[in-house]
Amino acid sequence: MAAITLQGVTKRYGSVTAVQALDLAIHEGEFMVLLGPSGCGKTTTLNMIAGLEEISDGTLLFDTTDVTRLPPHKREVAMVFQSYALYPNKTVAENIAFPLKLRRVPKAEIERAVAGVAEQLELTPLLGRRPNQLSGGQRQRVALGRAIVRQPSVFLMDEPLSNLDATLRLSMRSLIKRLHHQLKATFVYVTHDQAEALTLADRIAVMRGGVVQQLDTPEGIYERPANIFVASFLGSPQINLLREGLPRPDWVAEGRDVIIGLRPEDVARPGEGLATLGGRVELVSPLGSETQLEVALSGGSVTLRVPKDWRVREGEALEFGVDPARLHAFDAATEQRIAP
Amino acid sequence: MARRLMLALFSALFVLYVAGPVLWLLSSSLQMESEITAVPPNWLPPHPGLHNFSAIFSAGDSAEYVNRGIAGFLPSGAANLLPSLYNSLQVGLWVAALNLVFSLTAAYAIAVIDFKGRRATLYTVLATRVIPDIALVVPMFLVIRNLGLINSLGALVVTYLAVTVPFTIFILISYFEGIPRDLYRASRIDGCGHWGALRHVYLPLSLPALVAALMFAFLTSWNEFLFALVLTQNVAAQTLPIIIAGFVMDFTTSFSFVNAAGVIAILPPVLLAVIFQRYIVSGLTAGAVKG
Amino acid sequence: MRLRLSYDDRSAAILVFPVLAVLLVVAAYPILYSFWVSLHDIVLTRPLRRPFVWFENYERMLGDARFHTAVLRTTVYTVVTVTVTTVLAVGVALFLNESFRGNKLLNALLLLPWATPSIVNGLMWKWIYDPTYGLMNALLVKLGLLDSYRAWLGDPDLTLFLISNAAIWKQMPLAALLLLVTMKAIPDDLYRAAKVDGATVFQRFVHVTLPALKPGLMLVLVYETMISIRHFDLFLIMTQGGPGDASYTLSWLIYVETFRSLRFGTGAALSYLLAMLTFLLSWLVIRALGERNA
Repeated sequence: MAAITLQGVTKRYGSVTAVQALDLAIHEGEFMVLLGPSGCGKTTTLNMIAGLEEISDGTLLFDTTDVTRLPPHKREVAMVFQSYALYPNKTVAENIAFPLKLRRVPKAEIERAVAGVAEQLELTPLLGRRPNQLSGGQRQRVALGRAIVRQPSVFLMDEPLSNLDATLRLSMRSLIKRLHHQLKATFVYVTHDQAEALTLADRIAVMRGGVVQQLDTPEGIYERPANIFVASFLGSPQINLLREGLPRPDWVAEGRDVIIGLRPEDVARPGEGLATLGGRVELVSPLGSETQLEVALSGGSVTLRVPKDWRVREGEALEFGVDPARLHAFDAATEQRIAP
Repeated sequence: MARRLMLALFSALFVLYVAGPVLWLLSSSLQMESEITAVPPNWLPPHPGLHNFSAIFSAGDSAEYVNRGIAGFLPSGAANLLPSLYNSLQVGLWVAALNLVFSLTAAYAIAVIDFKGRRATLYTVLATRVIPDIALVVPMFLVIRNLGLINSLGALVVTYLAVTVPFTIFILISYFEGIPRDLYRASRIDGCGHWGALRHVYLPLSLPALVAALMFAFLTSWNEFLFALVLTQNVAAQTLPIIIAGFVMDFTTSFSFVNAAGVIAILPPVLLAVIFQRYIVSGLTAGAVKG
Repeated sequence: MRLRLSYDDRSAAILVFPVLAVLLVVAAYPILYSFWVSLHDIVLTRPLRRPFVWFENYERMLGDARFHTAVLRTTVYTVVTVTVTTVLAVGVALFLNESFRGNKLLNALLLLPWATPSIVNGLMWKWIYDPTYGLMNALLVKLGLLDSYRAWLGDPDLTLFLISNAAIWKQMPLAALLLLVTMKAIPDDLYRAAKVDGATVFQRFVHVTLPALKPGLMLVLVYETMISIRHFDLFLIMTQGGPGDASYTLSWLIYVETFRSLRFGTGAALSYLLAMLTFLLSWLVIRALGERNA
């Protein structure tokens, strides 16, 4: 029982507006990711939900309760930080037990809960250690443990994986996903990493300059980006955006000044129903499973990802096919998507 | 080689300059009046002994005074030395303890909480630090006298509290700012109010700064002279510096006693400074780099 | 705008209240009261008649020859003390910034003067300067620098400098420590870059150390000035303003006027003048310290 509703939530620091009249309804049990570059207001938004930053204007509801002015310790949310934020003077067990201790949970019950969480997160052998004796991954598991031990209905995560190395990040990602399934709590997760956002989220809110650019499912965000910013923020390598040189989709009115977007992976051998494009191959980067190409078209150069069996060489001419239905069109002036 | 020689030379000069005067005081305090008044002086005590100290500590005892049998006059004020030592200790401990509580809470609020009037509070605290004692002493005397609190240790404690608190707040703020903000955030999320965050995060993590603050408060009140001079008039509240100043300004007092009294006053602060050296240095210099 | 205080504001008010209360009672109130007193002709031997005289006390003091002497003495004492303390502290900091064996011990020794009560500092140097039994005479004669014993503190040309010397001994350590921390924060790369560029030791000091030392140096200068301009203890213990008026400083004048002549009105006026002067000088420090924390 914890839907989170932001109504016109605004954060101002002096004359600077960090978050601008934000409306966002996060459903109960949903995994919501706030995605955006640094300084986009995503962490400020999370902190306002947590109560760590005062809300300058607007209303914040947990279900139907107005919590706008409630201090964080009265909000009953759990949070995991990028820096882990483990108490250096407490052991792992004491760190995990701390939220329960503050709530005056009976000692025996605390011990049982800590043991259960430690079991779940494979922390049992580490319970007596202090944070400085743990690796980054272990620390983050302790931080998770400290959050889930309270069985909160709202879970806030502030870039929890960005201090970990690549392999650890992958395993932690699936751990978090598993926790979400088990806990059935509402998760609000802040990140600048699109891969994390796409794999974890039920819905993603892409933010820039304190304003939500698009709120949709991962598929929706990727397949139907609302504007050029969202289109280029998600996808690696970035979407190709050209004014000329790419075919105009038929739903775009003649004479309208547009920018056409082509995802690097949306190419095939020339064939039926496909528009055929050609250009000189400038750079070939084999990536193992596939190959990344830079191809000079008439309107500019594009990046493509093609199967490795294409066997292209630098300097050669290349012809490839594009499905016009998979192209993206944006108004050149407003940068907004032109929908089919 | 030349560098090592230079360093050795500088080290010797340094030790001579910094420690020389105190060693001379110590040497003098261990000599008899007749030895101390030799020309040229005895660099080291010919017959080192604690006779001056025992005479001072038993000053109330007339037999001891008569039996000394050596030229040297111990002023009647010497009998006040022991009570004043006790007063100094009492005032110092009270100031240190209260200072810690007061500056801890204020420093936490200023460093951690974003409240209305935070800037004004900070400036008020810093501003009181620069009011000269000598400018405060006249009105303080009048205020305390009108309240009938001349000769009360309590008046001294409150005065010293005001003198020391701005600086200890400054020490603690500098230290608090070095504690990761996320720890504070985590504690608030875990269920701490401000009191809990102070108790569970800032208090346990700032022990060095707390020790520095304690030391500073104690030493300042132990060493303070001007307010004690004006606000106390008899042995009920006079602190050690007052009694010693009385020794010095009484021309009939033997030098050996004066020097011994000086050693008594110098010992506690110097011992504390040496024991807690690391904390004191880091505390005193907090903020110097960025400031 | 909401009138109800937030949890943060309420908590902060409770946490800050005790300190503000103490500072208000013991610092702010006396300062205001002192101004009120300074506008009256209050003599303690005549407790019933204390007329309001506007700024007469200030006028009288500004025209008083003792005041002029005191300002001169205070200025000389402050300039000498601050300059020598700072120069000495820079030297000591440079020296202790070198790494050599025993460095830590010397660092610890630096706290000895700092911890010494100023009263003991006064009696110690008075004893060193003693005309008959003092260390200074004996040492200088032994080294052949002096023919016969002298009454050091009795020489009006020397008194102020000898008191200053005692003050420097006690104040130098903190200044040196402050500068040392600043020096330690200078990145080593800067020195290496300067060395690669062919800078001599002296050039490195001028072009790398001094600029980086500036904030610490400013702090030391202003702090030492604040301390020196109001210093009192040594003057009482060592010379009581004498010989003649050779060490008659502002703080001594305030003390004499108030607690010997019992003229509290003029004493308060003088206090106020000194406070203003100190405030003016320390405005810099508040800004420097305040900027960081605001």
